[in-house]
Amino acid sequence: MPNQLGFDGGVVIPNPYPVEKVEIIQAPLPNQVVLPLQQRVGDQAIPCVKVGDRVLTGQEIATTKDSFCVPVHASVSGTVIAINEQVIPHKSGIKSTCITIESDGKDEWVKNPGCGPDFLHCDTSTMIEYIRISGIVGLGGAGFPTHTKVARAQDCHTLIINGTECEPGVMCDDALMQYYPREVIRGVEILLHICGASRAIIAVENDKQEAFNSLLMYNHNERISIVHIPTKYTSGAEKLLIKALLGVEVPSGGFAPDLGVVCQNVATTKAIFDAVVESKPLVSRIVTVTGSGVEKPNNFEVRLGSSFDHVIAMSQPNKRSHDIRMGGMMMGVDVKDGKVPICKITNGIFVNDQSKSPVVQECIRCGACNQVCPVSLLPQQLYWYAKSENTDKAMDYNLADCIECRCCDYVCPSHIPLAEYFSFAKALHRKTTDDQYRTDIARERFEFREYRLERNKQERTEMMAAKKEELKKKMANDKAQKDKVAAAMARVKKSKKASDDA
Amino acid sequence: MHSGALNTNQIMRQVIYALALGIIASYYFFGWGIVFQIVLGVATAIVVESAFLRIRKLPIKPAISDGSAVLSAILLAISIPSIAPWWIVVVGVSFAIVFGKQLYGGLGNNPFNPAMLGYAFLLISYPLQMTTWASEFLSFSQGFDVFFNLSSIDGLSGATRLDDVKTQLSLGYLVHELQIYSISQSLISIGFLLGGLYLIARGIIFWHIPVAFMLGILTTSILLFISDSQLYVPPQFHLISGGTMLGAFFIATDPVSASTTPKGRLVYGFLIGVLIVVIRVFGGYPDSVAFAVLLMNMTVPLIDTYTQPKVFGR
Repeated sequence: MPNQLGFDGGVVIPNPYPVEKVEIIQAPLPNQVVLPLQQRVGDQAIPCVKVGDRVLTGQEIATTKDSFCVPVHASVSGTVIAINEQVIPHKSGIKSTCITIESDGKDEWVKNPGCGPDFLHCDTSTMIEYIRISGIVGLGGAGFPTHTKVARAQDCHTLIINGTECEPGVMCDDALMQYYPREVIRGVEILLHICGASRAIIAVENDKQEAFNSLLMYNHNERISIVHIPTKYTSGAEKLLIKALLGVEVPSGGFAPDLGVVCQNVATTKAIFDAVVESKPLVSRIVTVTGSGVEKPNNFEVRLGSSFDHVIAMSQPNKRSHDIRMGGMMMGVDVKDGKVPICKITNGIFVNDQSKSPVVQECIRCGACNQVCPVSLLPQQLYWYAKSENTDKAMDYNLADCIECRCCDYVCPSHIPLAEYFSFAKALHRKTTDDQYRTDIARERFEFREYRLERNKQERTEMMAAKKEELKKKMANDKAQKDKVAAAMARVKKSKKASDDA
Repeated sequence: MHSGALNTNQIMRQVIYALALGIIASYYFFGWGIVFQIVLGVATAIVVESAFLRIRKLPIKPAISDGSAVLSAILLAISIPSIAPWWIVVVGVSFAIVFGKQLYGGLGNNPFNPAMLGYAFLLISYPLQMTTWASEFLSFSQGFDVFFNLSSIDGLSGATRLDDVKTQLSLGYLVHELQIYSISQSLISIGFLLGGLYLIARGIIFWHIPVAFMLGILTTSILLFISDSQLYVPPQFHLISGGTMLGAFFIATDPVSASTTPKGRLVYGFLIGVLIVVIRVFGGYPDSVAFAVLLMNMTVPLIDTYTQPKVFGR
């Protein structure tokens, strides 16, 4: 039911692996780091170091001109030992070019430019540039380059800071708000300065009381308000959060800035503070390690590029074999093993004992799914069309609006992986429309050719006809001439005969 | 990763448990007949479904254990007269499973409610056996003899009150001259009502269909009753008679063949209610839950298309 701070649907999922106290444990420096050059969106960054080079922590090692991509920084000091293809944390287990650095254990930092504590004197474009060169992307999981997002949000009136962290089990933002409230608030002030927004709202789920309190304690800015929103999964989804806080819906296919709103994750906000004030590029992040396979779930502040195993080892994994998942238990992705590197979007690592997945049964159209769908779709109907690959019909039922939050999977009594079907149907639709586009182009080309040939033919016939006509006229003319000649000849003959006769 | 709520098999089982009160009430008034019907019906369902799955080369155990065939068989077995001969339930359940479910592709794919398809088939084919109801309690041996045609049902049988009232009214009697209420029928109805409320409380069925169903019945019967209270029976009679309660909570709510959108469920339930009264009053058959449900099953794709919820941001 709609209420003042809320949205329809969603599910309440308690943290499956609760901890007594949310902490941030500093992970030791890893022996080596693996830094992928391909980030979430945009081009791959171009390496600007060679194998054998010595690099310092925070030094730019790969650069880019694409605005959907950010530079990559060394997260430890040491030596570049390889630039090659390695498995990255991705659903498909693909390989991508990575730079591997062997740590020298000294952690020597490079000096970067920054605004210092008096950041209000810096102009907006300088700050955006500092954000860019610090390699900041959305740390909530989307990984969208922050400098591009804020540069496009210049006319926004409201800044929303997402501290909801609705994925059950993940608690890295909770920890960050508890232990770095000053940095978060200062980061919000920087963002307010950049965007020119009149107000900022920090949204925190009401099960994170400590985080809420600590932010409240450090907030002395009247333009910043901190609000509780009900604990419910998918409240962290940008459009749903806007609905919950402001009561307005971002139009289908539209974006938050269309409504004059810009959203940033709390961890991103802290990274912005680090970049602009402390002159520190993004070289580490807080990661939650949890799941049925570890004894001590907790948060770890770890250098980017460390292997998953590096932090998993610190949370006392049991000896059984595990399934490893990056991100949340709802929207995360399963990864091949713990050797893949932690990247900017790795907010959580789930280490679960391997278990058999439940048997999938037929859909009985019970409708449990449409009760929980936060965007009010009818998953049971979409499933029917997705299964039969009838993507046109699925699009009629607004497949494109599905946010793949998996609330429907969560409640399905037949254990159907609905969201997977939907993601497949979306891909299929893209492909068929793409194919359709190509066929359309080809058909148009063919039809134009036919038209052209027909036109040529017609022109030729017309030309021939005209020529024929001309020839006829000419011939008729010729005939008249001939007749005249003949007549003249006849006269001559006649007169000749007459004279002969005479 | 799952909510830990009931799975499909458990849902089917819960529905079966919720039927218990109505079945017990029916046993209390009419004796062992209903027990024989249920036992043979369920056995038939399992045999026929297994045979069909074998022909389709599909695994048998998961389909049988989902409980949907058993549920259909029980619903049909309690819908037919408890003193109907044994082959009635066998033919009906076989038809329901084969033509109502398996030929469409099994659970989840059938457009019609299988039990009601079986019921309609029986009512059209064997009207005599399908309208002769027990009039008193039958002991085990009486019930056994009747069930297997070993003794005559004379003296043990009669029409239902719904049938009776209809006949009397058509003979020119006025409503105040008739005995329209029956204790047994009312208590059986209450049994199913309580079972249905349990299902709503457990979140196994949504309230939309039963509530709209009864509103449909009430609206139509009140309009008729207002127009002439001597020609048309009072609205409450329609609520407690025949298959109303069973239909509202257990038949119309079959999710597979019902409308699936929240608004659509209201439309679907309401129109079933309207059709029930219309067919009861103006149609040729005494009760009409099966026909009303089957007719509305046909309209489900249309209802679903026009009752889609407003999607976020659209």
